[in-house]
Amino acid sequence: MKQSNLLLWLMAMLVYAFLYIPLIIVVVYSFNDSRLNAEWVGFTFDWYDKLFRNEEMLIAARNSLIIAVSASVLATTLGTMAGLAIHRYRLKVLPVLAFIPVAMPEILLGVSLLLFFLQVLNMTLGLISVIIAHTTFSIGFVAIIIRARLQGMDESIFEAARDLGATPWQTFRLITLPLIMPAIIAGALMSFTLSIDDFVITFFTKGVGEPILPIQIYTMIKIAVTPEVNAISTLLMLLTLALIMLATYFDKTILRWR
Amino acid sequence: MNRQYILCVFTWLLLCLPAACSLQPEVDGNQVSRDDPVLRLFNWNNYIDPRTLRRFEQQCRCQVTQDYYADNEELLAKLAAGATGYDLLVPTGNAMDALIRQGALRLLDKTLLPNLKNIDTNYLDTAFDPGNQYSAPYATTVTLLGFNREKLIELGLPVDSWALIFEPAHLRKIKGRVTVLDSQRELMAAALSYLGHSVNDTDPEHWQQAKALIIRAKPYWAAFNNTSYIRELAVGNLWVAHGYSNDMFQAAQDAQKTRRSFTVDFVIPKEGATLSLDSMVLHHSGHHPDLAHQFINFMLEGENSAELTNLTGSGNPNQAAKSHIRADIIGNPVIFPDATKLAQLEMLTELDYKHRRLLSQIWTEIKLR
Amino acid sequence: MHRQNLTKWLTSLPPMLFLLVFFVAPSLIMIVTSFRFPGEFGGLAPLSPSETAAGEVASGPHGLTLEAYRFFFSDTLYAEIFLKSFVVATVSTLICLLLAYPLALLIARSDKRYRNLMILLVILPFASNFLVRIYAWMIILGPESALNHFVNNLLALAGFPPVMLLFSPFAVLIGMVYVHLPFMILPLYTNLEKHDPVLLDAAQDLGANRWQRFWRVTWPQSLPGVFSGAVLVFIPVLGMFAVPDILGGTGDILIGNLIKDQFLGTRDWPFGSTLSIMLMLAVIATTGLAAWLARARATVSPSSST
Repeated sequence: MKQSNLLLWLMAMLVYAFLYIPLIIVVVYSFNDSRLNAEWVGFTFDWYDKLFRNEEMLIAARNSLIIAVSASVLATTLGTMAGLAIHRYRLKVLPVLAFIPVAMPEILLGVSLLLFFLQVLNMTLGLISVIIAHTTFSIGFVAIIIRARLQGMDESIFEAARDLGATPWQTFRLITLPLIMPAIIAGALMSFTLSIDDFVITFFTKGVGEPILPIQIYTMIKIAVTPEVNAISTLLMLLTLALIMLATYFDKTILRWR
Repeated sequence: MNRQYILCVFTWLLLCLPAACSLQPEVDGNQVSRDDPVLRLFNWNNYIDPRTLRRFEQQCRCQVTQDYYADNEELLAKLAAGATGYDLLVPTGNAMDALIRQGALRLLDKTLLPNLKNIDTNYLDTAFDPGNQYSAPYATTVTLLGFNREKLIELGLPVDSWALIFEPAHLRKIKGRVTVLDSQRELMAAALSYLGHSVNDTDPEHWQQAKALIIRAKPYWAAFNNTSYIRELAVGNLWVAHGYSNDMFQAAQDAQKTRRSFTVDFVIPKEGATLSLDSMVLHHSGHHPDLAHQFINFMLEGENSAELTNLTGSGNPNQAAKSHIRADIIGNPVIFPDATKLAQLEMLTELDYKHRRLLSQIWTEIKLR
Repeated sequence: MHRQNLTKWLTSLPPMLFLLVFFVAPSLIMIVTSFRFPGEFGGLAPLSPSETAAGEVASGPHGLTLEAYRFFFSDTLYAEIFLKSFVVATVSTLICLLLAYPLALLIARSDKRYRNLMILLVILPFASNFLVRIYAWMIILGPESALNHFVNNLLALAGFPPVMLLFSPFAVLIGMVYVHLPFMILPLYTNLEKHDPVLLDAAQDLGANRWQRFWRVTWPQSLPGVFSGAVLVFIPVLGMFAVPDILGGTGDILIGNLIKDQFLGTRDWPFGSTLSIMLMLAVIATTGLAAWLARARATVSPSSST
């Protein structure tokens, strides 16, 4: 028994190492006083300094934040409604509509939205198009979180409320909402994270001339790799780390489902 | 859950919004104020001298912002994807052809462009834009081969022929030290020229031959590259590069400035090459056509036009500019080819969708095999 | 009852409308686009002659056509790329499974106190930006990196020529695995956690050794989790273009790259849509297969949970 546990433990640790070492390297080299990500030369904050003076990067960060906040507000609202409706009523269509964007390859969503925006709506691509795109795939995520939370709850409390004469709106406001609030917050944080991180869908639905963070990073990677990329990566990692920890604090079921 | 936590998180989320909006970029250190009209230019990388722009901004009391593209395809794709608000574009002939036929450009008001007379008549009245209703010629480049002169002499390789990048006999000596352009049209044009056909040949048979030629040579090439070959040539990592004449000029200058042990040189292959005539055009979605006209007229002035050539070594269709251009550039037979050499150069024409599709398929195959 | 209906519509209608407009409609548009002609100069040709833009000559093809599909099947090239994508997706999924299983097993068997923390440690790397995770491997596999030098030194000793780890199929594979590994770990863990240790004890009492216990008891029970994880890895990998684009060489193009090129490069929207439809069909076929296999399994082993 001990032996097998040791082997298992060893293999598992190797996988953990595999997961973490690349990221640690990125962070470490963001402080490296050398243009090449090859060997350690000296410690410096230079790259972070350059980053904060990079005008385009700052605009990109601003745009990404605007998009993420808007998309998460929209997605959380619609996703909570969807989650409630799916749990309460035996709906056939809504679950399919909400969950497919989560499961299918992002490129399909990006491309179809591009075609839709240009052909049908004849709109100029910009922040709005990205916000709509992000909302579309976030709704499903939020709905899943809300539904999972509802499934774990005791139905009798709602029956009791009804027996006592509460209207559906009262039931919702006084009982349901407070009970699922942690899940709502977790959902909001998750969709915020998804929006800030998204690359593929943003790639297709963004407009020209409006920089967005992941796309900026992509351009930097493709054209001229400098440790500035490491710096922005480190900062982003810290941000999403904080957000996810916050989300799991509010709703542990995040850890079960993804 | 504690009410306070909820309030906390939501306030934080909401605060992000105004905080994000307040992340304003610093104003460019210009004497021009932020309320001035903004002229939006969509241009190639490295295709205008910043000093020229600053002088124009002073003169027009406006601001000029630039966005960049590295390829005509990129320009067209971005415009097709709904990019609006650009006043001026600088497309090459065939891309301009597409734009004119799409009805995407504004007609030029010649009365606002007295300096148009400065242009060499050879470059006016092209097949793409008869009578120059939409375009004013800006600069020319030739797609050719740039190379490390000393290294190639040492290896005994010919420098005046496309064979340098297509024949395994030569390629064997420079394996891994050659790059070609990552451009469907340009690479096919080079292959077609080498095979003795026109760059605009659309015979499927010839295309298959060109494809075979490219696939045969591909293993010796280091990469398909549009941008970093300039640097690699200048530092000596690359010995041969397929690229644009103005980029090669820049590489040559860089190598000279850093006192390398070698020189970078470039010639027009004897089998023929493509000439790109880039012109200034007005996009219909631009908000300042008047400023755009002003800019065009400004750039048509000999002195301003020459500044570009002096900086990038691009060919110049402007007669009045000649007296302002550096002697070594004017004298360069590649940048300013004589009549016989000019006859060997062709401009690319736009393909119809069937051929574009076929070319795209051939290109995919080239990449894959 | 009316109240019931009212609330039902009130809660379900807004998200449903949003998704109908911004998910279903675009998908339908994409399907229709695959049947149209490409515009002479990019974009699309009009559906009817009267639909031309001002100043444009009303010539050229219009209406609907199967041409894009014919083009797709005209050359084995595209089938090859699809096949390649499938192979990459399969191999990535298998590698993910191999790496994920030990870890998921360990976490599932650990003390309850530590499990949440261990799972959090799995999710955290996933919290980093998608591009960052790919970029990290650019550093590790780069031509100037320690790893590359090390490998080449080994190869030199054995008499082989040096290789470049980056911009190769190998790099693409590692990138795909790295980006999707948590997707395999989490469903596996969720499943393994629910296993009843009593069954293992019973098996041991009956004389089964370690390997038999795993193969006969744990593995069959974990299959629903395995399938979940496999689907969550396979499908995204199939459509991914960022990993080959950044870590791959010129020849390492997958179906995602091809689709991207059609829209943002060649401007051949109909063909790009055709390729997307094909990808969609491939995804539907895969999920169908997985669901069928999972159901087949469910009838065999009564204990099923995901």
